[in-house]
Amino acid sequence: MSIEVEVDESDLAEMVEQVWESYLDPEGVSPLIPTYDENQPSEVHSSVSITGSWTGHVVYASSRAAAVRAAAAFLAMDLDEVSEDDMSDTLGELANIVGGNVKAMLPPGSQLSLPQVNLTPESSARFPNTQRIGGVYGVWEGEPVSVSMWQSRIDNKEEGA
Amino acid sequence: MKILVADDSRVMRQIVVRTLRQAGFGDHDLIEAADGQQALEMATKEQPDLIISDWNMPHLTGIDVLRRLRGAGNKVKFGFVTSESTAEMKTAAEEAGADFFIIKPFTAERFDEVFAPILG
Repeated sequence: MSIEVEVDESDLAEMVEQVWESYLDPEGVSPLIPTYDENQPSEVHSSVSITGSWTGHVVYASSRAAAVRAAAAFLAMDLDEVSEDDMSDTLGELANIVGGNVKAMLPPGSQLSLPQVNLTPESSARFPNTQRIGGVYGVWEGEPVSVSMWQSRIDNKEEGA
Repeated sequence: MKILVADDSRVMRQIVVRTLRQAGFGDHDLIEAADGQQALEMATKEQPDLIISDWNMPHLTGIDVLRRLRGAGNKVKFGFVTSESTAEMKTAAEEAGADFFIIKPFTAERFDEVFAPILG
């Protein structure tokens, strides 16, 4: 059995909301609208790993169009100016911001990895021996975006288990 | 004043610089470092008045940069802009001589609150 993770979906939703308020939708006109559909499609994803008091991955996934829109918002540029590097760097930073905030809510003693970016669907991600324990799923300007947490089955054993 | 922004994320360096401008500090001389090692080198060579650093960077982390600077007697104003904000990190930052700790995501208002006393 796994230890109980101290970050729940409402915490994740709050972190995501802060990212939208600060960077992706500062005017408050295009929020992430929840779909609660953990099987919604994605075309690109990024992740950070957390090891220590909790071990697992925090994954940001979206359509390519949503990633381009995020990069344009982050870099204050037009959509047609966004390069592949802009999109990739933005995806990495999004995983880093949410992952760092998740780590901050965990018991002391965790390490956060540098972000990994993969311009393929989240469904192609392989995190061995993990299970998805929660996430925020929604659409932004009609495009799918999600942030999910994947817990390691191996490294989160209860003491004495 | 000269401000060094150290972050391995190009996107985040741009956001920090843009937020500094939004907070009214765009007239200062803004320079950038792409990792901790470069930040340490530029801190010595460029002699900035303020260093705004990420925590988690390749080659040398932000806290390592701060410790090395303070170890060498460098008293430059130095603080962190990071998505991680555990109590242990804040304690480590304070003990190493950090002047501020800003959590991502941040706003121009937060930058103004922290940097107005430093930059005037």
